[in-house]
Amino acid sequence: MIAKIGIAAALLWATAASAETRLTVFISSQQRPDVMRHAFDKFELANPGIKIAIQSGGTTSELQAAYLNTVMSAKDPTLDIFLLDIVRPAQFAAAQWTVPLNDQVGDVATLLKSYLPAYADADTVDGKLVALPAFADTMFLYYRKDLLAKYNREVPKTWTELAATARIIQQGENNPDLQGVSFQAAAIEGTVCTFLLPYWSAGKNLVSDGKLTWDRDAALNSFAMWTGLVKSGVAPRNVAEIATETTRKDFQAGKAAFSVLWSYGWQLFQGADSAVKDKVGVAVLPSTDGGQPVSCIGGWQWGVSAYSAHKEDAIKLVRFMSSTETSKQLAIEGSLMPVFPSLYQDPDVLKAVPWYAYALPVVTAAKSRPVTARYNEVSDIIRTQTNAVLAGSITAGDAATQMEARLRRVLK
Amino acid sequence: MPVTRSWRDPTEATLAKWLLAPAFLLLGLIVVYPVGRLLVTSVYELSLTSGLPAKFVGLDNFAMMLDDPVFWTALWNTLLIVVVTVPGSMLAGLALALVANMPFRIRWPVRLALLIPWALPLAFVGTIAAWFFQSEYGVVNDVLRHVRDHKIIWFNSGTLSMMAVCLTIIWKASSFVALILLAGLQTIPAEMYEAAEMDGAGRLRQFWSVTLPLLRPSIVVAMIFRTITALQTFDIPATMTRGGPGNATTTLAMYIHQTTVDFLDLGYGSTLAVAMFVISMAVSVVYLKQIRTNT
Repeated sequence: MIAKIGIAAALLWATAASAETRLTVFISSQQRPDVMRHAFDKFELANPGIKIAIQSGGTTSELQAAYLNTVMSAKDPTLDIFLLDIVRPAQFAAAQWTVPLNDQVGDVATLLKSYLPAYADADTVDGKLVALPAFADTMFLYYRKDLLAKYNREVPKTWTELAATARIIQQGENNPDLQGVSFQAAAIEGTVCTFLLPYWSAGKNLVSDGKLTWDRDAALNSFAMWTGLVKSGVAPRNVAEIATETTRKDFQAGKAAFSVLWSYGWQLFQGADSAVKDKVGVAVLPSTDGGQPVSCIGGWQWGVSAYSAHKEDAIKLVRFMSSTETSKQLAIEGSLMPVFPSLYQDPDVLKAVPWYAYALPVVTAAKSRPVTARYNEVSDIIRTQTNAVLAGSITAGDAATQMEARLRRVLK
Repeated sequence: MPVTRSWRDPTEATLAKWLLAPAFLLLGLIVVYPVGRLLVTSVYELSLTSGLPAKFVGLDNFAMMLDDPVFWTALWNTLLIVVVTVPGSMLAGLALALVANMPFRIRWPVRLALLIPWALPLAFVGTIAAWFFQSEYGVVNDVLRHVRDHKIIWFNSGTLSMMAVCLTIIWKASSFVALILLAGLQTIPAEMYEAAEMDGAGRLRQFWSVTLPLLRPSIVVAMIFRTITALQTFDIPATMTRGGPGNATTTLAMYIHQTTVDFLDLGYGSTLAVAMFVISMAVSVVYLKQIRTNT
């Protein structure tokens, strides 16, 4: 009798254990795990037997990449799905760290067409769908509506106009702590965009079809444009120390007239503790003289780990997370930008985040940083040299020469 | 009839082998095997971003290293850190040890003050120091503001960044040196000083003729430890300057970490690590010879 009960209990335990699948998701604390949790709860409700645990870590893209690199190169099965910065899918595909999704999503072409083109491109490597878009992001020009009105100035269309307007505001306000514009030149990922914005605006590409298409003049003009802003006092002398969060905090504290920043700033600027609540406008970034307006695209992708023990369920979860339904929820609850163009006109979304009405053209026109499996090296070369030029520890000419030489080694 | 010994009653030589075996096994596992693997990997082209299997390339990686400007910058920075921070922390550490060895009535506050920098994790120290030297909000500039008009932007200049990094390393490392030297100081018998005093030696003379010679073994030990850790400098510049501006404060250890963990180039990363291993070995050998000829 006792033996029978024992066997029955063991069987019950075994089925219970096998019925419950635990998926571990890696996201950073900056990617709104609270909002993601709501989506996971919905998925758990619809899929009994699957439980989702969040593992969060790494506040910057580089720190997350370093962590994922160690986990994945150790073939560690702990993580089932993870968020990847837009610059990473190519590397993950080359290392075969994600599960290709071509056979898992029905008609691939139709699916990809529903997303913003930049994401469809970033997540397709050599014809393989290696990740699915989670949420979009791009760099914007944030400006102080009140200050522009006070000095009767338009939103600048070029960097030259921006510098002139900023000077007028700085002189008028007579506040030595007021920066004209805050942008990033610390040796961080965002500084790659800093370098590329004027380079792209001049109509040049850094990499085409995996080959370096170096334009020395465009590079020198980019350096000259940024150092010019520092020399004229429009940007602070310590730009080489400034990382993304410094820009966000300074602008939020009312210490800058303009700032170059990702979309996450908006909601924080409207917060109760913000000095610039209701005083902020958002626009497309200025262009170089005679150039075209351009932005740097960011955004995050869901990848399924090649070492996951529950690939089928993980794929199901990733599909759910990159659906219109979830994208809409993330936009409304966390103001994480939708990856579907259609949602930028959705009344519910616009009610929560009114400025998305103007965001679609900016996101659509934004350009991608070089797509290559060796992106981490490309990024390091660009940000290190840009940081050194803006610190004033190397001349723009030397930096351009070193940058080209090192990029040629990587992009053979 | 030859004596056959059972395994229960081995000769002394056999017993010694058996007793030493676990230690050798352990050493083999944690030293010989990894170093061997490192040497093997260093002659392969193996990058996880290429999607290709490992390929034997002979000494190509080493040729690439000699041609790599970042390697030379990192090597130069590392040697600079050794040359500046080893003597720096030895001097500061000696001074601290002498202070701590003074006949205070209550000794523990001094000892505790000595221990704190040593007990702090390196990454904490680097992060704290980054804020200390930050141009806008840092304590250092706040103090300097009273003596000069313009604020110094430490991390804008390669030289100033390197100075800030070295100062931080000296601060952090001198307490470790002081602890070793303090232990050495306490083994010097008081009679030696009494005898010196009887011979008419002043305090300075006592320091030169009694303290320093008797402290020599401790100084050598502290120097060896300090030099090896200085060669491996990673945490403080990594958290303080991230190697910037440009690569002005990138050390060899940071470059190895970046190549393997960030760039996933295991082959070239191993090559760089072999270079660092050779340099560390060379320094150790010089020191060990020094000890042998002096004892």
